[in-house]
Amino acid sequence: MSSAQIEIQLIASVVAIACAIPGTFLVLRKMAMISDAISHSILPGIVIGFFITQDLNSPLLIFLAALTGIITVVLVEYIQKTGLVKEDTAIGLVFPTLFSIGVILIAKNANDVHLDVDAVLLGELAFAPFDRLLIAGADVGPKALWVIGSILIISVILLIAFFKELKVSTFDKGLAASLGFSPAIIHYGLMGVSSITTVGAFDAVGAILVVALMIAPAATAYLLTTNLKHMLIYAICFGVFSAISGYWLAHSLDASIAGSITTMLGLLFLAVYLFAPTKGVIAVMYREKQQRTEVSLLTFLLHLRNHTEERERHVNHLNEHINWQKVRSKTVLDLALKNNMIKFDKNIVSLTEKGNNFTSQAIDYIITNEDSKIEHMKEDFFLFRG
Amino acid sequence: MDKKKIPVSAGRIAVKVDDLTVAYNYKPVLWDIDLEIPEGVLMAIVGPNGAGKSTLIKSILGILKPIAGSVSIYNQPYEKQRSLVAYVPQKGSVDWDFPTTALDVVMMGTYGSLGWIKRPGQKEKKAALEALEKVGMLPFKGRQISQLSGGQQQRIFLARALVQNASIYFMDEPFQGVDATTEIAIINILKELRKAGKTVIVVHHDLQTVPEYFDWVTFLNVKKIATGPVKDIFNDDNLTKTYGINYKVSIQE
Ligand SMILES: Nc1ncnc2c1ncn2[C@@H]1O[C@H](COP(=O)(O)OP(=O)(O)OP(=O)(O)O)[C@@H](O)[C@H]1O
Ligand SMILES: [Mg+2]
Repeated sequence: MSSAQIEIQLIASVVAIACAIPGTFLVLRKMAMISDAISHSILPGIVIGFFITQDLNSPLLIFLAALTGIITVVLVEYIQKTGLVKEDTAIGLVFPTLFSIGVILIAKNANDVHLDVDAVLLGELAFAPFDRLLIAGADVGPKALWVIGSILIISVILLIAFFKELKVSTFDKGLAASLGFSPAIIHYGLMGVSSITTVGAFDAVGAILVVALMIAPAATAYLLTTNLKHMLIYAICFGVFSAISGYWLAHSLDASIAGSITTMLGLLFLAVYLFAPTKGVIAVMYREKQQRTEVSLLTFLLHLRNHTEERERHVNHLNEHINWQKVRSKTVLDLALKNNMIKFDKNIVSLTEKGNNFTSQAIDYIITNEDSKIEHMKEDFFLFRG
Repeated sequence: MDKKKIPVSAGRIAVKVDDLTVAYNYKPVLWDIDLEIPEGVLMAIVGPNGAGKSTLIKSILGILKPIAGSVSIYNQPYEKQRSLVAYVPQKGSVDWDFPTTALDVVMMGTYGSLGWIKRPGQKEKKAALEALEKVGMLPFKGRQISQLSGGQQQRIFLARALVQNASIYFMDEPFQGVDATTEIAIINILKELRKAGKTVIVVHHDLQTVPEYFDWVTFLNVKKIATGPVKDIFNDDNLTKTYGINYKVSIQE
């Protein structure tokens, strides 16, 4: 690996971490669209900042652009508050307007400088290592790494300091307000960090990848955990994994790095969406099938218990009486046998002692609906789980 | 906590609302409310849907900004008395799919006394576990909250209020969607709080149980209709004024 390659992966990974932190809270606050809006509407801020500073990485430019991001949020909320349109419509009104102002500004005044719409939207990671930061004449590494690294350090400090406030105001605004943690301050703080991160990262990776890195890893992590801290950690890991694997995908296909990273993010989400252990599509389908079988089993056991007459418990009768398809009856019968719940005696089915006990417990639960009764049954009986 | 701020003498006014008017988009939903809640009562707020009950509580707690009027808690503005007040919001006002467990939600009740930045530690965790035990939810402490039944979720929020160790409790429909056993369990906890000298204010919809559960009542429908001891003012006249129909007749139907 050449040092440029290492630096590209390093920049991509740092961007991924910096994006995953605010991204997690945006996803939880159902504000994914806002990050899209911010990433586009900061364009006029960048252009104006560029006119003033003539330097794409100047802190003033980042600040001005982040301010445009916050203005976007305020405008969206203001339009929404009129009650005339919904939030998504308000977003759809604000960001194209601001974005096109930026485009016009560039076309009118910045035609001859290094600032074009493609660069803003797509970025070019491959060039990032060539823009070096020189301190007193010494090369200290790529500029992008310093910019985004500083932003990352600030957001990590803010995250650690205000984790509890972010959590409570995201979960329950009313409680946060009544405890004295102003939800508005936290909201605009988060918007500020999201804007600054977007501005800091766009030059290296482009606005589209910034949005993807904010939303996709957090959305993927959301499917895997019920713990906010784990969600943050997973989101960071997914972001970094996609950044590095995306880089190598681009390398082997000779394709765009940003495009490949986005592809990896999409694939990762798809894989988790399908295979996540509890919320994944396949797990849900499996669980439903399992539950159906177990409900059938319970129905069957109840039938046996309710009928003492041998006639009612004859194998042939069971087939037509309970009215299940052959396959289903067989699965249920096998399951009951395997668990020693029933026994056969000349084609007459009856409950074993274990089956009898189990059925009583189940009835108990169904009638009283008392949670303490099923807590231990949950271990060995799928039906009652969650 | 700030025990010194809590007056011990009986007959004090815990919550005082003066000329309160609250509007959403300049349309008033609470109109010139005056209300005094004495310390140590277990009070029901009753009124039809949309009467402004939740709005009243939210504006007392500073969650909503009123367009006119003021609120004081033990003669001081709410901002200074935050630690004396706990709040159980109406169900559905939180994100149930949020990645958090029952214990975690209860812990949030301790955040107020911690203030900004400081993080909860063992002491807070212990208090949260005790509150969970009190509402009978200890076995569920690790459950993600959407995997709890409606009544269990309600108990978690009660525990979160208990852990705040406040003097005044506001609860917005804590009996919504809970079964008879849970309802009794909750009311017993509320009565215990009153016995300990706390003031408990509950938005309540089941008019039948008002005389049995509460000793104080406020009738509300955009304007305040009446407030006082249940035995004095819980009558057909006030019910009719509040609900706009002849209440007795409608019960019989
Ligand atoms: N965020 C809001 N924006 C606009 N109007 C609102 C908002 N919240 C409540 N309202 C309106 O204010 C009025 C009072 O609402 P509030 O929630 O206080 O009623 P409530 O007495 O708690 O009713 P319920 O018994 O149904 O809980 C209603 O007419 C409602 O439509
Ligand atoms: Mg309400």
